[in-house]
Amino acid sequence: MKRIFDNQLIGPFAAMVIMAVIVALTTERFLHPGNLSNLSLQVSIVALIAIGSTIVIYAAGIDLSSGSMVALLTMVFAQMLKSVGIPLALALPLLLLVGSLLGLVIGMITAYGRIPSFITTLAALIAFRGLALTFNNGSPVFSLDPALEPIFYGRLLGVPMPFFYLVFFYALAAFTMNFTKLGREIYAVGGNAAAAVLTGIDVKRVQTTTFVIAGFMTALGAVLMSARLNSGSPNYGQTLELQAIAAAVVGGASLAGGRGNILATLMGAMTIVIVQNGLNLNAAPSSVQNIVLGLIILIAVGIDMWRSEIASLMSRMLGRFRPSDATTASKAT
Amino acid sequence: MISTAKPLWEFRDVSKSYPGVVANDKVCIKLLPGSIHGLLGENGCGKSTLIKTLAGVQQPDSGSILRNGERVQIVSPQSAREMGIATVFQEFSSVPTLSVGENIFLGNMPRSRFGVVDWKKVHADAAAVLADMEFDIPTEAITGRLSVGEQQLVEIVKAVAIKATMVILDEPTAALGEEEIDRLHQLLRTMRGRGVSILYVSHRLDEVERIVDEVTILRNGRVVRASGETEINVSEIVAAMVGEEVGEHYPKECSSGHEVVLEARGLATSTGVVDASFKLHRGEVLGLGGVLGSGRTQIARALFGADDLTAGDIVLNGAIVRFRNEIDAICSGLALVPENRKSDGLFFNFRASGNITAASLRNLARFGVLDLETEAEATRVLIRDLEISKQAEQRTVNFLSGGNQQKIVIARWLFSDAQILILDEPTQGIDIGAKIALYTLINTLTRAGKSIILISSDHDELLAMSDRIAVVHHGVIRRTVKAADLTHDDLVRASGDPVDEHFEEALA
Repeated sequence: MKRIFDNQLIGPFAAMVIMAVIVALTTERFLHPGNLSNLSLQVSIVALIAIGSTIVIYAAGIDLSSGSMVALLTMVFAQMLKSVGIPLALALPLLLLVGSLLGLVIGMITAYGRIPSFITTLAALIAFRGLALTFNNGSPVFSLDPALEPIFYGRLLGVPMPFFYLVFFYALAAFTMNFTKLGREIYAVGGNAAAAVLTGIDVKRVQTTTFVIAGFMTALGAVLMSARLNSGSPNYGQTLELQAIAAAVVGGASLAGGRGNILATLMGAMTIVIVQNGLNLNAAPSSVQNIVLGLIILIAVGIDMWRSEIASLMSRMLGRFRPSDATTASKAT
Repeated sequence: MISTAKPLWEFRDVSKSYPGVVANDKVCIKLLPGSIHGLLGENGCGKSTLIKTLAGVQQPDSGSILRNGERVQIVSPQSAREMGIATVFQEFSSVPTLSVGENIFLGNMPRSRFGVVDWKKVHADAAAVLADMEFDIPTEAITGRLSVGEQQLVEIVKAVAIKATMVILDEPTAALGEEEIDRLHQLLRTMRGRGVSILYVSHRLDEVERIVDEVTILRNGRVVRASGETEINVSEIVAAMVGEEVGEHYPKECSSGHEVVLEARGLATSTGVVDASFKLHRGEVLGLGGVLGSGRTQIARALFGADDLTAGDIVLNGAIVRFRNEIDAICSGLALVPENRKSDGLFFNFRASGNITAASLRNLARFGVLDLETEAEATRVLIRDLEISKQAEQRTVNFLSGGNQQKIVIARWLFSDAQILILDEPTQGIDIGAKIALYTLINTLTRAGKSIILISSDHDELLAMSDRIAVVHHGVIRRTVKAADLTHDDLVRASGDPVDEHFEEALA
């Protein structure tokens, strides 16, 4: 457990709490139980997709395709349920499979075709959105299946269902990253791909796997999106990929790869949603929301990059040195 | 020699502390014009701090810096440059995608009237400087395509071009072969002849002996031998650096058996290996000599399955094997400790444990789940046995010294139980104490029946630590010779001489 709850969580956790306190102090309705359960609904889709985005980032890749893939998959889902008439119980796992396969294709083009993931997923971002428009003449499909809504709006013991998805998948992701061979290999590939090759890690397979995971998680997000709105639309998921990446970054994942704690991504997603929620409750226009989101990303990464400067400033202000500084300095001589 | 000359730069009682450590403690040093001054000491002795102070990267806490006898302050790298100080760091600061001419004048490009770069003048001036230094490279050549040695020379030409009077060289030969080192030394002597003061930092004591006029030796931030107090001779320098008599610089033990574990039969690759044949015995250290670019590293890569063979066979324990990739080689008990441990060896995002087990995750996992207890225990044992810094258990490996880092890369292959280790320049850039520790480790490995292929540009090291030596020449190995039958000179001639008969002669 010590492995999972390490000190990489402190910063993102503090950011989340500070944001929550600020919003709670300025906004009366924030702490209302109805609003809090609404929060877990709001955060669920982006937070689940962010698991995949974060794991891709750990392997020093980037996934820009998830937003468009959500749109495409909601249309595919709608097609399965309405046009083909596949029952929900079959369509749901099928959609997860389609998402994973799309991830597999992106991953293989990236890893074996040696094309930077920024480019492959940028291409996918554009192409998937176009592909989504080829279904149903580009119009949204409504009333997919009455059995869909409980997936998102249902409750177990009074707790919204998405809360359980979050707990389950974050626990699974944390276990994978900290205790399995795959998790270790992902961090190794992101930390130093050249060294990973020379230590016998199948770097291309690992890179591909991260995109399969991302595809699966995106498909899960698409299921929730369809359930939430009981519809599919080629316009769903706009900028969702950026929010997911923002969650990873606010959670301290290094875009250079190899570093980060997956639970911090959940905190990053929470931080973003809390701020959005606070602005919503205060009826702030969406323009302001976007500006604030941009600032949060900048500040979060800034704190990460300037960590050592901030630490030395703090220690100077406190007038004493932290013992660990000595070793850093002696290395510098 | 020129001790009566007035120093160009002088440090008087310069001190610099970092939190928890005194990096420079009342350091005094005089740098004379027209002199090559060796600055020596083990890692962490304060050399880098001194260099950084002179280069204006940081300010001293106390003490004074004098230029031609006048007190000055070097407030920034820019002000250092304006005062004629040029620093050539170990890591190149050239832009690999730009031409040689552009790199030489980077930052102060000659401009025409309209503020546009005057390309004719850039290349003409660059060509003039290059010709002046008798350095035969077209100014339009793309810097990144030059050999490492040539790039190093370009760095120094940059210093010449800004008319520096004080040139600091930090480990300038770490990546160079013998021939290139000679060329570099020639260049330095030319500059010395013109009255330039040169501060030369190096771990390669044999070349220090050849090039420097005087030495200052630091230990624990203090000057333990000021210039003139030490004779420039390797054993005395080593003793002063380490602070005690070093019994044996090269503690070689011979454990070589008769059983052939690996045989290369006429290996060739598209990367520059032409025809390499040799045998490796159990418990043997086989040295691969040769200049940089002779194909030593490529032979290592071919053996390790990293580059494809275009001809020849690898015979492992009597059976012909064909490695499709590194994974096959590792599974067959081979290991490669790469030349550049920073870029190809270490995972800086991991602590010692993750680095040590990286090549053995297959064995450490059951149904994909890692056995973290075994990992932690094995890490503890290896850290203890290899005398790696205790810190490595808790902190990521970027906090460790070069010697500790290299030990961790080797520990990785101890954990994987590799039987044949290829060590490519294993002591590059690590200090003398750590080098000796590594030699002892090589002995431990061979005593345990493991075989080693040692690649090194340090001829003394190669001669002392190998049982037999194969000289690689333009990708060709024909014969291997007992190390005891070779002298330093033979090796230099065999690896450097371009004419094939001479090579044969040297080995005869």
